[in-house]
This record gives sequence, structure tokens and C-alpha cells, in this order.
Amino acid sequence: MADRRLTRRTFLKSVAAGVAAGPFVSTPARAQGFTWKRFQGKELFLLLTKHPFIDVLEKNIPEFESLSGMKVKWETLPEIQARQKLTVEMTANSGGIDAFFTSLHVEKKRFWKAGWYHPLNKFLDDKSLTSPDFDWNDFTPGARAGVTQPDGSISALAAFIDANVVFYRKDLFGSKGVTPPKTLADLEPLVQKLHAPPATYGIVLRGLKNANATQYPSILFPMGGTYLKDGKAALDTKEQVSSLDLYARLLRQYGPPGVVNFNWYECSASFMQGQVAMYMDGVNFASQFEDAAKSKVVGKVGYAVLPSGPGGHFSPIYITGMAVSSQSRSKEAAYLFTQWATNKANMVRELMAGVGVGRTSTWDNPDVKAKPKMPADWYQAYQASLKIGRQGLPEIVGVTEYRDIIGVAIQKGIEGAPAAQVLAQAQKEFQDLLNRTES
Amino acid sequence: MLSRWAHRHASWLFPAPAVVLVATIIVYPIAYTGWMSLHEWFASSLTGPRFIGLANYGKIVLGDARFREAVVRTLYFTTLAVAAETLLGVAMALLFNREFWGRGLLRTLAILPMVATPTAIALVFVMMYHPTLGVANYLVSLVGLSPFRWTYSSQTALYALALVDVWQWTPLIMLIALAGLASLPREPYEAAHLDGATPLQALWHITLPLLRPALVVAILFRAIDALKTFDIIFVMTQGGPANSSETINILLFNQAFSYFNMGYSASMAVALFALVMGASLILIKVRRSTTW
Repeated sequence: MADRRLTRRTFLKSVAAGVAAGPFVSTPARAQGFTWKRFQGKELFLLLTKHPFIDVLEKNIPEFESLSGMKVKWETLPEIQARQKLTVEMTANSGGIDAFFTSLHVEKKRFWKAGWYHPLNKFLDDKSLTSPDFDWNDFTPGARAGVTQPDGSISALAAFIDANVVFYRKDLFGSKGVTPPKTLADLEPLVQKLHAPPATYGIVLRGLKNANATQYPSILFPMGGTYLKDGKAALDTKEQVSSLDLYARLLRQYGPPGVVNFNWYECSASFMQGQVAMYMDGVNFASQFEDAAKSKVVGKVGYAVLPSGPGGHFSPIYITGMAVSSQSRSKEAAYLFTQWATNKANMVRELMAGVGVGRTSTWDNPDVKAKPKMPADWYQAYQASLKIGRQGLPEIVGVTEYRDIIGVAIQKGIEGAPAAQVLAQAQKEFQDLLNRTES
Repeated sequence: MLSRWAHRHASWLFPAPAVVLVATIIVYPIAYTGWMSLHEWFASSLTGPRFIGLANYGKIVLGDARFREAVVRTLYFTTLAVAAETLLGVAMALLFNREFWGRGLLRTLAILPMVATPTAIALVFVMMYHPTLGVANYLVSLVGLSPFRWTYSSQTALYALALVDVWQWTPLIMLIALAGLASLPREPYEAAHLDGATPLQALWHITLPLLRPALVVAILFRAIDALKTFDIIFVMTQGGPANSSETINILLFNQAFSYFNMGYSASMAVALFALVMGASLILIKVRRSTTW
């Protein structure tokens, strides 16, 4: 039998060809008839996660119901609980969930290996199922790569894309006559200049284990480090050592007290209280900085792309998506919902609410430009970061376990242990994890 | 006819609903956990559990330093918290056993922490423990001490967590001790008084020995609970910084729901069960023994 596996490239080509040909061959395609009403009367059940993207989406679900004539029921849980519920439902093979919101940066390979994602390739190719204006190629390359598995199967449609950026206090930077760091080499001298405790600490980054693993690549990638080399763990390379050393030293010397156990919540709290001059984290946390009810630094925050380094210029990105459950009894109907949730119109709504999305066309949308919710440099920093986006975590089955391994190493580093020593231990544990789960 | 049949078999018929209930919601899960612990399974729909015998237990006992550290930490946390609660609880009980103005109101206020939800308490303590913005360091500074890192340092995290446990559960020990005190006979005290015993001697030689059965029950309750503490640790530190506050329960939760090592986490659950069981048996034996 010929190898029928689809590589991503051939698939993308075929989709690109389909899209390009779309306008010209639309008559037969329309004759086959894409219609939202195809599954009229069906009922769908969605498992959603508490998330800014979902907050916006939920409000518009009634619109999908009248568009499609389907009845949609859903449950929205916090991320961890949603993952537990999904695990229980899927391992019990209940078939009760038709579509679900998935954090691809954590679940991508795990759920794929467990067989919980229904591959969407055929649906995307099927003109009777995919609306002519859906336009797969409108998603940024990072977004498309983020939902595509090693065997080419597409597990979800990209929804929200988080990218790491620099948040900085324009007023403090101005009074010291400094600008946001262009390179990693600028970073430490700059932070040192701004550091004036206890009124102002130079920088804050996540210290808490697991949570810190999504921020660490903001230093690691430009330093030239990677997670894997030829499929083997690469946590003890010299790039890793200099990255962890820098990350830990910045926090140990210039971070607020107790930063070793700071999650994004504590980090953004100290930033919003005006205690910190600079903060690097996911771009979506910014909307609260501009909320006068929560923040003392409204209007004083500047947004910039992460610094580059000897290894290049990157922004770690994290993708969530809408997926169709492999156990759903109405997969095609569920696909209609996923498609609607990530179509252009809904993505524009998300962006206008300050939620970042990975569709190129949304950025130039006149509505977005006319009524910006965030300052202009936020949009610029975000858009520039998406262009240099790279999946922020290793694409392996045991993502969470990896995050704990590197997270503990970082915390020990912050508390003063030598980087080379903690990374040697992490390397051993990471390779052991790969041996257990990646075979 | 039917009623006569029922009458004859009443001995098993009446308890049957309760037995069925217990079997389905207690016995079955325990047995299933035991069975799961002999397997390797990553919660996949494509590949089912693989039987590996006692390999998980071998790994727990010999191979897994993180688990061993968690066991030591769990025991340390329990000892620390329960010892402090017992001392404070008995002291409070002795205080509230006296008559004084406002006793009823103060006693009611004292048991309030016990009725609050652990998760809510934990969230409040997270804010209070914040090293720069929290009220805890402000209070510490009022009495002239330098600020602590509380849950934000691996040296102090476990103590900060034990403090939350002590704050919440001391009233339980107090309540049980208070009930014990109320039931004590008056005669031994009168006799001791006549023989010239000081109040301290009366406390040490009469009150505490007589209170012992009640105290052992209280300690037993608290020890079992403290061994399996989950909510406050999960909410406040998730076992961190590094792994400095990771107890068995936090570790096995991570193994099951973060790493999806279902079989391995089941074997840890069985180990925790054995630990709790062992501690309970020891305490019950202490209660039955007559020598003090």
C-alpha cells in the first residue's frame, strides 16, 4: 500500500491550491452546497475553558444557534478542572463531548497520542463542509504549525495566541533616559539601572515552577538554546546554562522579594502596584494594566518586542484551539461550530475585546483600527511578536512533567544554586521522561 | 407470605442497601485503586492499561527520591501541625473551661476558623503572605521583626503552610478537649487540694491523664486529616518553591492529573493509605494501653 500519510507541506499546498482556486470554481462547490443549516436540529455539547477568548465567544453562541439551527449546550470550567473532566469523559469513552477548547501547548501531543482529537484535514478540504470565506491560510504560519501534528494531521483550529512581550514603565524609563532592551546583552545593565528598592524593583518574571517554564524561553531562545537535539534532551548545553543563569540572576538580584514563588498573578500585581520597572510575560495580561480599577500604572505602560540574542530573535507563543472530539457522534456538526468560532468575523470581535488571535486579516480590519481597546504599541508589539513566533514549549507528550522539571531547576537557581548543577539534574530527569513517553 | 420471608431474612435484608452503597462508593474504588496500581497506564484511549505486577511499588520504594522526600515532608508537616494544635488547643480548652465574662462569645469566635472553607482560607492567606504587599509582614514589622518570605521561600514554605493548618484546626482540638474537661469528676481535685497539690500538679497528674482518651481521639482525627492535607497546599504553593512543600497527596495528584501516570499514582495512593492506616493503628493502641 502506498504511504497515505499526509505531510504538512503537501497538505498546506493542497489547501492553498484549494483556496486560490476557490473564487473560480466556486459554482460547483456551492452547488454541492456549503450551508450552515446542514445539521439543523442537532444538539451539540461543548467543554470550554475559563479564558478571555471564551468570555467573548460565549456571548455570541446564540448567533451560531440561529445561523445553524442547532442547539448548543456548553460547560465552562477552569483550565485544570476542564482537563480533568475531559480526561475522565474520554477515558470512559462516553461520547458526551462534541467539541472542546484545548490548550495545545500542553495537550497537543498527549491528546493526539491518546486519540482524542478528530483530525480535521478532510473536513477542511471538503467544500461542502467548510465555508468559502474560512481561509486556512489566513492563520499565521506559527498558528498553523501549532495545530498540526508530526504526521500532518490537524488537531484543532487555532483560537487564541499568546506571545511573550516586554511590559515596561514609560515614565521610569524616560526619567533614566533608557529604552527597552534590544538585545540580551542590554538586559542586565538596563535592569540594574532601574533597580531602586524598595520603591522600584528592576524586573519581575515568573518564579513559580511550571508557570516559569513558559517565560524561560524568552531568554533561552535568543540565547540559542533548544529543548531537544536530535530527539534527545538538551537541557545541559552551554546555551541552557547561560540562559538559566541569567534568568535566575535577574530575579535573585533585581526581583521583588519572594519572586521565586510568583505566578503571573503575583507578577502582574506587583507591576500594577507600580513596584516593578519591567515585566516580561504573555501579551494578554496587558488589558488589566490599562484598567484603572485594578492598576496604578494606567497609561504609563509601554509594550515592546522581546530582545534578540546570539541565537536569533524569537517570541515564544502559546496556542489554544477549538477541537472536535474523536468520540463525538456528530463530528461534522461539531466541526461547523469550531469553524464558526475561529472564522474571520469572530476573530475580529476577539481582537476588539483585546484578545489576541492568529489571523493575519484581522489586524487590518477597519473596525479594529478605528476603535482600539489597547494602546497602539500593544498592537505593534503583538503583531511583531507573532511574526517571530516559535512554539514556546517542547512538543512532547509529557509537557507538564517537563515544565515541573525545568521549573524546579529555575527555582533552585533563583535561590542560589549553580545553573550547571541544577541543569545536570534536570537533564537526567528530562531524558528519563523522554525515554518513558516518547518511544 | 412476603412479610414472613422478609422477617426471616431481616438480618441481611435491612442492612443490604447500606452494604450496597458502601460497596459501590468505598470498597470498589479502593479495590480498583489497588488493581490499577499493578498497571502502567497513561490515560490513553488507544492503548489500555498494561499489567506490570509490583513494579510501581518497587519504583516507589527504591527508585523515586521525590516520593521519599514527599513522605518525610508529609510526616514532618503532620507532626509539626498536630503538635502545635494539641498544645494550643488544650491550653485554650483550659482557659475556656473557667468562668469569665464574655466566655460564650469568645468561645464561639474561637471556633470560627474551623467552619470556613479551606480553599477560601488558602486564597486569603496567599494575599496575606505576599512578601511586599501582604498584611502578614506588616504585622511582623509591628513587633519589630524583620519580614519573612512565608510561602515564597523553600526554607519557610512548609512552616507557613503548617501555620494555616494550625490556625484553622486548633479549635477542633479545643472543642474535643473542652468536652473532655466538662465530663471530668470533681472528687480527685478535692482530694488533691486537701493533700496540698499545686494547680500545676493537679493539671499534670489529674487533668491530663483523665483527658487522655479524648485527646487521643482528637489527635487521631487531626493526624489523619493532616497526613492527607491537599487543598491549602495546592492552592497556596502547588508544592513549591521547587518541591519544598510537596506532600504525598500533591505528588500523587500531579502524577495522575498532570503527568497522566495513572498506575503509578494509584500505587502512591495505596502507600498513603497504608501510612494513614498505620498511624491510626498506633494511636488507637496508645488509647487502649493503660500505662501513661
